Amino acid sequence: MLSRVADNLYWFTRYLRRAENTARLVNVNSQLQLDLPRNVRFAWQPLLDTLGVQDAFRRLHPDSEGDAGEADVVRFLLLEPGSPCSLLSSLQASRESLRSIRDTLPAESWERVNGLYLWLADNGERALGRRYRQELLSRVVDGCLVVSGMLTANVSRDTGFQFLRLGTALEQADMTTRIIDAGGSGLIRPRVTDDLAAFRAVQWISVLRSLEAYQMYRRQVRQRVTPALALRFLLQDAEFPRSVTYCLDRVESTLPRLPGRKAVSRALAQVQSIVRGADTVALAEHGPKVMMDRIQIGLVALHEALAEAYFRN
Amino acid sequence: MDWSRYRPPSYDELIQADGQPRASARRLIEYITGLSRKELAERQLAADLAAREMGVTFTVYSEGRNVDRTLPFDVIPRVIPRSEWARTEAGLRQRVQALNLFIDDIYGEQRILRDKVVPRSILKESVNFREQCVGIRPPLGVWAHICGSDLVRDGDGTLYVLEDNLRIPSGVSYLLENRLVAKRVFPELFETTAILPVDDYPAQLYDTLAALSPRPGEQPVIALLTPGIYNSAYFEHCYLAQSMGVELVEGGDLFVGDDDVCYMRTVYGPRRVDVIYRRVDDLYIDPECFIADSVLGVRGLIRSWRAGKVALANAPGAGVADDKVVYAYVPKMIRYYLDQDPILPNVPTYLCDDARQRKYVLEHLAELVVKPANESGGYGMLVGPRSTKRQREQFAKLILARPRNYIAQPTLSLSTAPVVTETGPQPRHLDLRPFVLSRHDIYVTTGGLTRVAMKKGSLVVNSSQGGGAKDTWIVDFEESA
Repeated sequence: MLSRVADNLYWFTRYLRRAENTARLVNVNSQLQLDLPRNVRFAWQPLLDTLGVQDAFRRLHPDSEGDAGEADVVRFLLLEPGSPCSLLSSLQASRESLRSIRDTLPAESWERVNGLYLWLADNGERALGRRYRQELLSRVVDGCLVVSGMLTANVSRDTGFQFLRLGTALEQADMTTRIIDAGGSGLIRPRVTDDLAAFRAVQWISVLRSLEAYQMYRRQVRQRVTPALALRFLLQDAEFPRSVTYCLDRVESTLPRLPGRKAVSRALAQVQSIVRGADTVALAEHGPKVMMDRIQIGLVALHEALAEAYFRN
Repeated sequence: MDWSRYRPPSYDELIQADGQPRASARRLIEYITGLSRKELAERQLAADLAAREMGVTFTVYSEGRNVDRTLPFDVIPRVIPRSEWARTEAGLRQRVQALNLFIDDIYGEQRILRDKVVPRSILKESVNFREQCVGIRPPLGVWAHICGSDLVRDGDGTLYVLEDNLRIPSGVSYLLENRLVAKRVFPELFETTAILPVDDYPAQLYDTLAALSPRPGEQPVIALLTPGIYNSAYFEHCYLAQSMGVELVEGGDLFVGDDDVCYMRTVYGPRRVDVIYRRVDDLYIDPECFIADSVLGVRGLIRSWRAGKVALANAPGAGVADDKVVYAYVPKMIRYYLDQDPILPNVPTYLCDDARQRKYVLEHLAELVVKPANESGGYGMLVGPRSTKRQREQFAKLILARPRNYIAQPTLSLSTAPVVTETGPQPRHLDLRPFVLSRHDIYVTTGGLTRVAMKKGSLVVNSSQGGGAKDTWIVDFEESA
């Protein structure tokens, strides 16, 4: 397995997963906004912050002080070619990673990814209006999942496959922390502070929905949604496939199939222990931001260890 | 299918001057005649679909975007009788053997120059002569392991060698895929006709490369070096790497260590590479040796090759025999090195560097084709019969300014074969590119890639300019009763 091929396999699924989560995040928040009464304001700004693209956004919209409008933010998150995290950029990056390793994966995966990217490039403008947004974003989510399904169903579980799994797992762990962060930092701002408690539940349901976790939460937790329980589910549940703990377990399960590298195991153990030690009740109380940042830094270190071990030989 | 209005302008590969099919093509023509125009169109459609499904593409880079195009494929095969092919194959073996001896001699003792069979001036202004390769002795004395020679047939039926591609000839993947498509489209004919198979090529190529390994006795590690996804032949690089089961690598995947050994970067750490089938041009292959800012190559690769730690196919510098001036001397080389008469004729060639020949060329510009010695792809040519007086005057000046740089040949009337069009079968010009592999022995593909100009009257068969391809059948028609 060439290092370059491993690197591209990893980024191919990472960007694919990033695209899927971005589409979900915008979709769910667009819905949430429609549910809110008039005296409650929905702020799009925190979405930019949690995705770490506020500076890039500010450069494009220098006059938007503090409160960015829906049209600008949605365009930026979905279609901005200059943002590394926009939906279109993610799909394009996924496609470019795949292009140079087409020969190593089933031909249909290239056709699907290429087709999805070209379709979004041609039709993305329509998603900016609310009328078609849901339909179009659902189609992107479906398109990404079809490719994931093809990979799961049709690719041999060889060394290369482990890199596909690593890319998906790391990206999902990262996106889960970012979506938690967005939810915890107050997308909803009631004008009257008395209403705050009531809307916090709405907000956490929307976070769970962004991660397709609401139904699984209900089945497993069997309690009404509270910030602390939602946080525990998304961070520490061992069975929900988009929880951070589950994703890190997946990373752990691939390592025996790869040439052993101590630095990788060390970086993984470190971020696992941060997640395990998170006090979700306290996080619900004081806001999850600092903890999410710590986990993200741990994930970056894990990525660096993987890149050093396998991609830069 | 009605042939009554089929009127080839010149020698036709399938139909004789009297309108009857050639003996080797009789069964095929009878079969096609039995199909309605609609049925034939359906077969053509099936072939187009099959080609697209198999992903037979070449890449065109335009307007900043990369587009994969399907190579147009015409379903009516070109047929060559086995007896004629046997002679052609023998001629190619002889020719490639002589060419390899020539290259080895040029980078070695230069006997052929000392004996004045080929003038020393030939190296002057040769853009493909590599000073850096002088004195190197590649394994088996072979430089051009893979050669693609272009053959054309003139109006009287004679098959000529038009040029030899000794650098990085491409197209063999289309040859192999065309056969798969043809089998899907005409399965009946493959049952009743003795068509010789072509699918041995990847195994033969693998053996050719493996024979070069500097570590004989051990399983060699072989890699195909591609310039990457933006190269027009990237499909072929993937195809060959996959069908041989070798690693497809880019320049950045390789490095040469302090021990002069070439390594691949893998997830298990560095892994030694023994043989590289390089599809990157000489000049880009090693920034330490040639173009310094090339990002396609591998720093130190020539050092490793010189030290005998890695084998390169084709060897850098092999293109010295790719020159159209050198081409003119190939019949003499065959006599000089092999003491044999050439089996396949060259197209008669006038060298403008020679005063007497130059005088003839300048007096007959309107009849001749003038070509620059070192361009490929049909660029910078003068086609006399289709030229204007001004163009001829311009070329006369060019020739006088740099005589070494030009050759001239009589205008050939290229042979044709029928292709399927909306108005029935129509004659189109074509050529043939067989591939020749050299190691201890020499292997020639069964037939070759038939390239066909899809436009009426056009002589341009290049895929980049709208040319297409046909399957090429070597038929043992005496056996296929």
